Amino acid sequence: MSSDPPTTKATFSGAAPEAPGFHPRRLWSWRPASDRQAGDAVVSNFLLHWFPAKTHRASLAWSYSFWLGTVSAALLLLLTVSGLPLLFLYIPSVERAYASVKDIEYVVTFGSWIRAVHRISAHLMVIAVALHLVRVFVTAAYKNPLGGGQRRQWNWVLGVVMLLLTLFLSFTGYLLPWDQLAYWAVTVGTNIASSVPAIGPNIRELLIGGRTIEQPTLIRFYVLHVLFLPGLLGVLFAYHMWRIRKDGGLASADRVALAARKVEKPPSKTKTYTLLGIARGTAPRIRAATVESGEESVNSVPDLARRAAIVVLGTIAVVGILSVFIRSPLEEPANPLITPNPAKAPWYFLWLQEVVTDTTIHIGRFTINGAFIGGVLLPGILIALLTVWPWLDRSPAAATGVWFDRARRRQNVVFLAILVAILLLTVVGTFLRGPYWNFYWPWQPWPELPSRI
Amino acid sequence: MEKRSDSPFPRKDRPVLAAVGVALVVSTVLFAWSDRKHDWRWYQHDFRRQVVEKLGADRAKAVPRGVQQIWVANLRRADRCITCHQATNWKGFEAAEHPFRTHPPEILKTHPVEKYGCTSCHGGQGWAIDVEDAHAPAEHWEEPVLGTELGEAYSIVDDKKALMQMNCNVCHRYDRHTPGADSINLAKALVREKGCRACHFVNGRGGTIGPDLTWVGDKAPEQYEYGRLSGQKTAFAWHVAHFKDPRALVPDTVMPNFHFSTKEAQALAMLTLSWRRAPVPADYRPGVPRTDAPTPEEVAAEKWIETGPGAWFVKTGCFVCHSVSALGVKSPAQIGPDLSTAVEDVQSRFGRTVDDFLAAPTGTMAVVLSRQIILSPAEKAIAVQKLREAFAEHQKQKAAGVAAAQSGGPTTP
Repeated sequence: MSSDPPTTKATFSGAAPEAPGFHPRRLWSWRPASDRQAGDAVVSNFLLHWFPAKTHRASLAWSYSFWLGTVSAALLLLLTVSGLPLLFLYIPSVERAYASVKDIEYVVTFGSWIRAVHRISAHLMVIAVALHLVRVFVTAAYKNPLGGGQRRQWNWVLGVVMLLLTLFLSFTGYLLPWDQLAYWAVTVGTNIASSVPAIGPNIRELLIGGRTIEQPTLIRFYVLHVLFLPGLLGVLFAYHMWRIRKDGGLASADRVALAARKVEKPPSKTKTYTLLGIARGTAPRIRAATVESGEESVNSVPDLARRAAIVVLGTIAVVGILSVFIRSPLEEPANPLITPNPAKAPWYFLWLQEVVTDTTIHIGRFTINGAFIGGVLLPGILIALLTVWPWLDRSPAAATGVWFDRARRRQNVVFLAILVAILLLTVVGTFLRGPYWNFYWPWQPWPELPSRI
Repeated sequence: MEKRSDSPFPRKDRPVLAAVGVALVVSTVLFAWSDRKHDWRWYQHDFRRQVVEKLGADRAKAVPRGVQQIWVANLRRADRCITCHQATNWKGFEAAEHPFRTHPPEILKTHPVEKYGCTSCHGGQGWAIDVEDAHAPAEHWEEPVLGTELGEAYSIVDDKKALMQMNCNVCHRYDRHTPGADSINLAKALVREKGCRACHFVNGRGGTIGPDLTWVGDKAPEQYEYGRLSGQKTAFAWHVAHFKDPRALVPDTVMPNFHFSTKEAQALAMLTLSWRRAPVPADYRPGVPRTDAPTPEEVAAEKWIETGPGAWFVKTGCFVCHSVSALGVKSPAQIGPDLSTAVEDVQSRFGRTVDDFLAAPTGTMAVVLSRQIILSPAEKAIAVQKLREAFAEHQKQKAAGVAAAQSGGPTTP
């Protein structure tokens, strides 16, 4: 654009003061007419204040990040918003929880849809956060090629903690309906926790507030689910966002900065006011990569704002439509005396349950329980490795911000192999395990489940 | 110069954003529609139309709109069946098709809907307001409607609705005979006739050779062995087959084959499945007296107080505060001294004879005799005479007691 559009020019050429942040036209900040207005928009609009004034084009690319972090944040927003009405309707009591969920399902206006939104968002958030982590790993986006104030490795650590928080949030929400699915999924989950050597039973007791899953468990999980964990996740999320700004945006932008020809700027004239008079001269010659301006960046408002809107609103629309067609299950009321067969943990823990079963060895009458290997040792090692990986990755700075760089081939292959293994085990655990944890191909029917009448 | 840098994004992103906007509108329409589309709206519309046709537009105004429910606080049941089954209490729909049929009124006289709800007798899922979920057998709901359809599925002999009697017997389990529950009555007669209690413990008595059947209705369907059962894998089907030929299902059982007919086996299966640990409030149990029944000893003591030699003290009201132990009168409050020894006691406490004291009482007795118990001089004379009799009886008993203590024999009242 060579000049301002005539309409906006008319608006601004009037008597209106041109102080930054003041504009007589409502919602002007979403459609700034100049770069200066675009910069002002970021400062003066609360919803936009966390954006930089300018964003690298590389950061906005669909195919680099797939906007998975934004999708996760949008799902977190959806979970918060859909959780609020549920907070008014759900009763965290062993006697009444199940009935209150039945009421939400059947007679609360939009209740069934709200619950479906909450549940589907939770499942999708586990997927989105995990995929986000995978993207960051394979693009080595935890590295700091420009040095300076960059501390991306710590944002990576934050991200790992937030993945664990997401899983734990989902897991604590699992118990609340107090149906058979909830009760036994949490039984399986907390039994795995008790296989930690020495202190395992204490961890389980701390987690469920006793030796059996009862009212103390429900209230613990409830408070964790609606207050403690979301609060913690919110704080970490804010810190995560802040660090992205401090680290100079996405790693792909660093790559552009590294590649940019360092142009020699002609020394500019300087004018210094001193006590003795005005000193004139030239500035020192500098060679700098200028990604902040010119071809490599665009105004955050509206370009970044528009794409963020597409992703957030698109996520909301997809979840909203899915929730009309996918109803949330509610099984029989929880019954400690009857174990459903098979009793399964939540799907994102099924790979661990599968490992637990596969590492349980029977020798004669003796059984070596695999709960320690599958429930503690393996996930513990994987999480520890993930956390410290930025310090172990010795690949060159040039390998940052690009998918599957040659210099990182070996670690990417190992990472993806582990990922595929986890996925395969999850699929086996979810779809191919039937009664008594026996293996069934999809075309093999499960034995008929008996009913009362 | 105010300029805006060029950007390649708007051209592609704007249509995408517009498409997202359309998707959001679609999503809103869809979820609003999905909340509206319930069957009950149609049923309520249809019922109102039928009422207009049969009874006139005026009566149709009384037909309630929206989700309806019966909340039975005692049972913690919310039965929303009447959302569609609106004719339940309407006269004139006796021959209509379900869900617009009048409920048979006789049974409702003794089992008012407000107190029992619908599902405690009929089964089904009271929470639900959609046909499929409410009637079951829906997934994850083990209490289907025990109606004709299910009866036909099980080929119940004679009365296809007999399965419902299972729920009757949850409250009526201690009845010998329950009017209207023919299958259950048949089964109970069989239990007595065939001597099931020789081996099985039921309702507090029986043998221990077979399993305790008192709560067998609560046994989870997963806990039965279906290996030798053909057809439906349900607890009910298992029991029917087992009653007909126990050894066919459990090869090493010692339970004899009673050669029950299909009807008998079905009735017995209903009876056994009705033996559940359901939380039945005390006043839902028929035939149980809702009172603290006194023991025969208590009844005899009460009669003795009212008709025995101490009856005068009871009728006059003295016994509220005073026992007359010698005459077998026991005061509920026992505030005043025992009157058995009044002749002696008054003398020692007040230095006056009983006659004198009653003529001009002091202290508490002055208040009582002037306000609560007002006695004429003639009545006071009777009182003195009665007190003397009581004292005589007291001394007699005392002497007998001393004699008995000396001889070591039992004291007689």
